[in-house]
Amino acid sequence: MYAIFKREFLSYFRSPVGYVALSIFSFLSGYIFYTQFAYGSVSISTEVISLRSFFVIIVPIITMGLFAEDKKRGTDILYYTTPTSLFSVVLGKALAAFALYAVMFINVIIHIIVTVSCGGVFNVGDFGAIIVFFFMAFMFIAIGLFASAITDSQIVSAIVAFVFILVSQIISVISGYVGTAAGSMASTLGLSNSKASSIGTAVTNTITWFDPFVKTQDFSLGIFSVSALFFLLSVGILFIYLTYRLLDKKRWSQA
Amino acid sequence: MNKEIINENKNNDSRADKLKKYSLASVVLLAAIVILGNFLLDKVFGKALTFDFSYSSQNSISQPSIDYLDGLSPDTHIRIVGLFNRPNNVDGTVYQYIIPLLDDYVKKGDGKVSVEYVNPNERPSIITELDPDNSFDLASRTDSFVVSCNGRIRVISPIDCYYYDENYYSTYGTYVITGNNTEFTFTNTMYALTQGISKKAYIVSGLKDDGNDNLTKILESMLMEVVMLPDSDSFEIPDDCSLLILNGPNSDISEKMYVEISEYMKNGGKLFVAVDYNTNNVTEKYDRLNQLLNQMNINIDPLLVYENDAGHQLSGSAVNSVVTVSDEFSSYVSISYLTNSYARNVRTSDIPNPDFVTKPVLATSSNSQTLMLDSTGNVVANGVEDIGQHYVAMYAVKDGVVPSEVFVFGTMAFSSDDYISQHSLNDINVDFFRACIRELTDTSVDSQINILSKNIDSYNIDATKATTSTSTMMLVIFMLIIPIALIALAVIVYFKRKNL
Amino acid sequence: MIEISNLVKRYGDKKAVNGISFTVNDDEILGFLGPNGAGKTTTMNIITGYISSTSGSVKVNGHDILEEPELAKKEIGYLPENPPLYHDMTVIEYLEYICDLKGVSKDKRKSQIDNILSMVKISDVKNRLIGNLSKGYKQRVGIAQALVGNPSILILDEPTVGLDPNQIIEIRKLIKSLSKRHSIIISSHILSEIQEIADRVVIVNHGKVAAIDSITDLSKRLSGQSKLLMTFRGPSQECAELIRTIPGISSAIVRVTDSRVSQIEISIVSNSTSDVRVSIFNCMAKKNWPILEIRSLDPTLEEVFLSITAGKRRAN
Repeated sequence: MYAIFKREFLSYFRSPVGYVALSIFSFLSGYIFYTQFAYGSVSISTEVISLRSFFVIIVPIITMGLFAEDKKRGTDILYYTTPTSLFSVVLGKALAAFALYAVMFINVIIHIIVTVSCGGVFNVGDFGAIIVFFFMAFMFIAIGLFASAITDSQIVSAIVAFVFILVSQIISVISGYVGTAAGSMASTLGLSNSKASSIGTAVTNTITWFDPFVKTQDFSLGIFSVSALFFLLSVGILFIYLTYRLLDKKRWSQA
Repeated sequence: MNKEIINENKNNDSRADKLKKYSLASVVLLAAIVILGNFLLDKVFGKALTFDFSYSSQNSISQPSIDYLDGLSPDTHIRIVGLFNRPNNVDGTVYQYIIPLLDDYVKKGDGKVSVEYVNPNERPSIITELDPDNSFDLASRTDSFVVSCNGRIRVISPIDCYYYDENYYSTYGTYVITGNNTEFTFTNTMYALTQGISKKAYIVSGLKDDGNDNLTKILESMLMEVVMLPDSDSFEIPDDCSLLILNGPNSDISEKMYVEISEYMKNGGKLFVAVDYNTNNVTEKYDRLNQLLNQMNINIDPLLVYENDAGHQLSGSAVNSVVTVSDEFSSYVSISYLTNSYARNVRTSDIPNPDFVTKPVLATSSNSQTLMLDSTGNVVANGVEDIGQHYVAMYAVKDGVVPSEVFVFGTMAFSSDDYISQHSLNDINVDFFRACIRELTDTSVDSQINILSKNIDSYNIDATKATTSTSTMMLVIFMLIIPIALIALAVIVYFKRKNL
Repeated sequence: MIEISNLVKRYGDKKAVNGISFTVNDDEILGFLGPNGAGKTTTMNIITGYISSTSGSVKVNGHDILEEPELAKKEIGYLPENPPLYHDMTVIEYLEYICDLKGVSKDKRKSQIDNILSMVKISDVKNRLIGNLSKGYKQRVGIAQALVGNPSILILDEPTVGLDPNQIIEIRKLIKSLSKRHSIIISSHILSEIQEIADRVVIVNHGKVAAIDSITDLSKRLSGQSKLLMTFRGPSQECAELIRTIPGISSAIVRVTDSRVSQIEISIVSNSTSDVRVSIFNCMAKKNWPILEIRSLDPTLEEVFLSITAGKRRAN
């Protein structure tokens, strides 16, 4: 695992990819920080929670090459023919992307230092927001990793990861539409209006339950929800396992 | 023959089939565990595993609320209904301090409190369900919460949960929130609903422009039902009146009012009067009001109390100063110094009425004087009166089966919306005011739950450091220098390695 | 030592490998021969654990590749047909990564890498980007990669394909030198390449073993026949008749390539153990027909198979 982690992490800095991702993150976090600073009120948790919206751009950039490039070049054969386990390969890659996220986060740490030295507040609520940020990064990296393992084209992998993350980001919007549609369908089926609308609301709520953004929204208010973190962690692990299984498929696949 | 081939195929593929089955089964199993596990964790332990790490415990109810909920009988059911769909993101909305706190009521309420969010547009029946008589017009309150218990309801609108800058609101029409009073509002609303209402307070309206919202809030939290009694030709004090309040009228009372209140005060009436000396009423002498108060040995002079003692002045202001609580009333609050501003001089009337015993409540230093001002706020010639101790509040009582009592305040620093919203319900003056009301209505301290209001989270940074130039510096460093440096690094690394 | 027994790999209805069994002994070079598509790469992928077989077993120094994959893989260094190289890494970075991957301990790493670098003669390019190296160097880096971890067995899939003749010779020398310390399986579809370095050959065709033989036996089996292709100027008919009279020549097929200058090409099959080229030259010289080219034609693999299967049939 360490071997893979080291190679992937260093490879971010051997090619422009890592620097570009860092640069984009610096710019975006800098923008959020600057607007707050110029307004005279800096909430680190608000900054961190808003940074989640940029996963959709940054995660595909840093995960697209992880497996797709190996498959294209044929270097993935090393994972199967050297004495390492495939699972540790997947984990190593996920950790490398995660570590790059940690490096990006240095930006926010600088912002925190500036905020505190300017008499601003950094308290335990902000800390909760940072924790949720990393849990979320882990989950989206796992999704990006999966997207990278299903194809040998970086572009396809980036697009798939982008769509996955985008959908997860707008689940609550989608759920609203689906709920309305379900409600109106129920009413055309002859149910009373109130029943139909409660069906619609139930559908909306059920879909919204899966929304990682809604689940973790309140962290910016200092609310620390263990079950939300568990959700992110377990979905991340599920995708890591899926990726592992996908790679392992090569052994028995007859295609 | 064919069959044999198929069998052979099956046998030969068994290794791959086994791996495939194992692979698929493990993925399906893990996915099921993840979904089920999360669902269970969320529904069963979600609330218990949610912690409030906010700076000022915004999202947790405090011990008095917990004690109150614990003290309720187990079959109590308090139902809180938000008349809207629960927003996904409350950050930055008026519900930011409300919705998470309500979750905490449910978490700590031991099943006695339930919170739900129902949009009446989607389920119109909720309105008749909560308010069958439609006395609260819930259909138009779709930003509000309804608290329902024992068949009675109270409506709480989000702004009821905050203190805000009243001046700013009256000037610009928008709220600048200064304090968080959500817990106080909800706990005391629940308290009122679970205790039942004992007293009815009437507030005379129509004699001034600004409202009595905070006053109402205080009285309601003291389990009184508050009703407005408008100034009109048919002014009449109902029989169930336990307390009559004349809060900061800018014009004198009507003849009809004078007659009615005089009558009311003869038979164990309870009256609270507060008037100050402001630009709107500087020329008002309140002749009829004084005529009424004179029956109780009290007179309000059209004179401004002017404090000369530097030790009593607030920030060097002679009109905003400290007043001393008389010994008789010193048990009302823990300290004996309160503040006043722009007070009228209150004194015993010239012709005493032996039926009433009159006592001073709040007094200035012995080095104060009174001034008479004209409508522009300038001191009228010869308007300066003698130096000595003056009073800004007095109390009078007439013994009887039900004693008649009155408090007269020459300042609005105890009961005006403006003052309360600026200083919060925990202010010492407000406490003193509550004690006066308790005296008048003969209720005990326990009739409301004291909950400290919370600060609004402030993320402000030091204004001397967050200047335009430093924020421009931030712009340049974080949005230009760092990103461009990183891109430059990318280019350097790319070209350096390309030719290795 | 590798024991391969009854290996089958099925892709849908097609069997890419259909019951291959053979053994690789310690410190020998085993040539793995077969035409393109015969199942060489699939077999090697199964041996190295890249894919799993449908049935059959592979034991590497006693460790089953499916049951004890990590132990078995430790014993194998694999150079796939397409060397698994990261073009964006330098040679040294790449080899260090492979060391990490194969779990070479930190203290042995430096000496091992230096050893390998000098063994495969890539010390001079160790700080260059792999993507910028020539094909021959890339192949060497690929071999270096297989050598990391000091495996007892090297499996090289078509190591010389796509290289120019000089590079082929270099790589061959390298492989020969490696055989002192490793047993090697080397696959190819060119017989002559294997002939020079291998001790034994396994020939596969259509997913089955066609022959397992030592090189000397194989040479004997093939030595009964040789083929020549000759170009000269002269009358075609007369010429063919003359050549057929030369002792040892069993057939001569004539084809006119340029009628204006009566240039003809003649392919000759001889059974003789002696070299027929001298007799041919003497004949032609007498007639004053100028010989433009004489080329000896190596038998193609297909022909080897034909001859092997023919031989078998005869034996039966």
